[in-house]
Amino acid sequence: MLDKLKDDLARIRTMSIVGMCKNAGKTTVLNWLLSEAQRGRCLALTSIGRDGESTDVVTGTEKPSIFVPSGTLIATAGDMLRLCDVTKEIIYTTGIPTPLGEVVILRARSAGFVQLAGPSITTQLAHLSGTFFDLGAEQVIIDGALGRKSLGARVVAEGVILCTGASYHMSMEKVIEDTAGIYRIMNLPKAASLPPEAEDSLEDCFRKNGEAYLTGALYDSMILPLLRSGILRSGRLVVQDPSKVLLTADTLGKLDTRNVKLEVRDAARTLCVTVNPVSAYGWKFDKDEFREKMQAAVDVPVINVKEELG
Amino acid sequence: MISITFDDKQKIGLQYALDTLHGCSPFGAEKIRRLRFYGPEEREELETELYNVEQMARFAGELKAEYDKICLILCQMKDIRHSLRRCAEGICPDHVELFEIKGYLQRLENLLPLFEKVSGKAALEGIAFSDPAPALAVLDPENTRSRGFYIPDNSTPRLKELRIRKKALEEQLFHAEEKEKDAIRLERTRVCAEEDSEEMKVRAAMGKTLAPLVPDLLENADTAGRLDFMIQKALFAVHYGGVRPELTDGALELTDMMNPEICDLLEEKNRRFIPVSISLGRGATVITGANMGGKSVALKTVALNVLLLQAGFLVCAKKARMPLFSCVKMLFDDLQSIQSGLSGFGSEIVEFQKALDEVEQGYSLFLLDEFARGTNPDEGAVIVQAVTRYLNGINAISILSTHYDKVAENANAHYQIIGLRDIDPEAIRRELCTTSDDGIEVIARHMNYGLYRVEGRSDCPRDALNICRMLSLKPEILKNIEAAY
Repeated sequence: MLDKLKDDLARIRTMSIVGMCKNAGKTTVLNWLLSEAQRGRCLALTSIGRDGESTDVVTGTEKPSIFVPSGTLIATAGDMLRLCDVTKEIIYTTGIPTPLGEVVILRARSAGFVQLAGPSITTQLAHLSGTFFDLGAEQVIIDGALGRKSLGARVVAEGVILCTGASYHMSMEKVIEDTAGIYRIMNLPKAASLPPEAEDSLEDCFRKNGEAYLTGALYDSMILPLLRSGILRSGRLVVQDPSKVLLTADTLGKLDTRNVKLEVRDAARTLCVTVNPVSAYGWKFDKDEFREKMQAAVDVPVINVKEELG
Repeated sequence: MISITFDDKQKIGLQYALDTLHGCSPFGAEKIRRLRFYGPEEREELETELYNVEQMARFAGELKAEYDKICLILCQMKDIRHSLRRCAEGICPDHVELFEIKGYLQRLENLLPLFEKVSGKAALEGIAFSDPAPALAVLDPENTRSRGFYIPDNSTPRLKELRIRKKALEEQLFHAEEKEKDAIRLERTRVCAEEDSEEMKVRAAMGKTLAPLVPDLLENADTAGRLDFMIQKALFAVHYGGVRPELTDGALELTDMMNPEICDLLEEKNRRFIPVSISLGRGATVITGANMGGKSVALKTVALNVLLLQAGFLVCAKKARMPLFSCVKMLFDDLQSIQSGLSGFGSEIVEFQKALDEVEQGYSLFLLDEFARGTNPDEGAVIVQAVTRYLNGINAISILSTHYDKVAENANAHYQIIGLRDIDPEAIRRELCTTSDDGIEVIARHMNYGLYRVEGRSDCPRDALNICRMLSLKPEILKNIEAAY
């Protein structure tokens, strides 16, 4: 399974690694991707905002550092350069400002540890990916954001690796339920066509067309009355991207029962889910049970970061 | 020293003119933002600048491709002056700073052949770059010509050793057993730290080698800014029709001058700016004319062109003979000083006093638009007459626009707006009856904004009465006005 997944991953041009929480194993996955990359393949690396500290700022636990092979392109803030121990060749200054200085692109002339602090705005990130490809990158990997914020990652990446772990919550059921919820929203199908836009009232638009396109956010208080009154029934709701869906799992379920399809305009796909059964806060899940239950909740491969990637 | 407030720049249309320019490099943009005026003592430099701008404007068509390429390169330049100064102060530059300096030098290198071509063709004077090659050799010692910045392995023997060792350790780490890894990592950390300190020595040495070259490099940045600004000035002249004035020792003659801002504004309304000509000498000149007649426009256009010249632009006129002023002051009628608590009139007098102090320091241009209009007409007229007599005596060209009677008699010269002089009021009244257009618009269309010189004694024109007739003021009132005239 791992080999097939590796092939799949290699074909994705831009990939975002997002986590449900801190210590979900994002960096382990990233290091695995970097070490598994074919020699001579030019990878490019950046992050949404600051990441890659050697100790987790929130939990104080020891975190793995990002280790890149020689030849990797890295976009990081100027102040982070002194924390990168690769031999550096500066090749581009992006003009994107961050609190830690302008984002600079460097090529690692040796293997080594790097500290990432990339742009925090998705449009800048999209622009940066373009620059990476211009500079000869074959694959761009974005160390992504946490939780809900990560839903926006689909704007810049074709594929997403979703990382989850015991650090998210003490209850395994809760971890699996919420991860599956995010997974579901992330994997909403891409709309084949855009229905008419609901400009003033979702109700009117839906009544008239039996489907609607929403440019803003979609939340429970918009949907529940329409569900109750029976207007929302077997139709189609399209939103811009998954980050616009602010519905609870319960409401999502109700839409399903009513046969209302929820679709998105911009789609990426989730490539796999990784699990970390060990929490940074002291508790642990049974690794096999956790993996199996997670696997039952999603239809992409589930990998244990500690064992399979370690 | 000429210094103009932002407010005044906006009023006379200088800011508008500056806003049409696109400084490409940070150096050029800075020159436009912090506009500097040449003083009378810098006449020679100004002559050179004007000559260069005129030449560049003349060849703007032929050399368009070169100008475009130069602008493109200038656009890519970053402001490296701070990093250069740090080098000169002996501070060790970091990787990114050296990268930016190298990039700047490479761009300068690409700029040079284009500049040589332009400079040769247009026979430019007094502008040259020093060769960036020595500085570039410091930052690209192996002459790779690559865009990136990298400290080569061969920089010092020690660095080479360390990098080989670092690579070997990485290989070792890759194949090592888990228990050996920690020791290798520890060793690797030590090597990395030493590599870093060795690189710092190399960077410091680079900074030190650059230090003596810094004055030349800063000069080059300034020259790039001058070239940038010159191209913009040339393109401005091509667009708005600039002429290089003959510099005089006192007289100011502008033939068919225009004001780009008002010109563009009128064009939007499908109307045309009527060029204005004026000839001024030392002493006070009075401009009189109807309401809506464009007295302020004439004043502002004189000020604009004087300032354009002294900033090294060609002036917007058919022909120009102009002196250099050491001070330009203007007081416009919309002056209000709410902060000081004075009335409009009071603050006008305060501002006038302040301005006069500066004007009397050297040969100046002093513009007063509707001075003392804020008080009652009888007193106002007396005040403006006295001011005019005083201004006749000082070492300045003063222009006053006024409504008041008998001011012109006290002045050295008197100009009047042609206004509605040659128009039959009855014809316009008839036109107004048949069209749905706004009355003001119709009159404005017929208004001749040109100036003519009044010889001998002349009263203010009686256009106000004509305007009343055209706009069909109530006949009973009109009859009374006519009776009182």
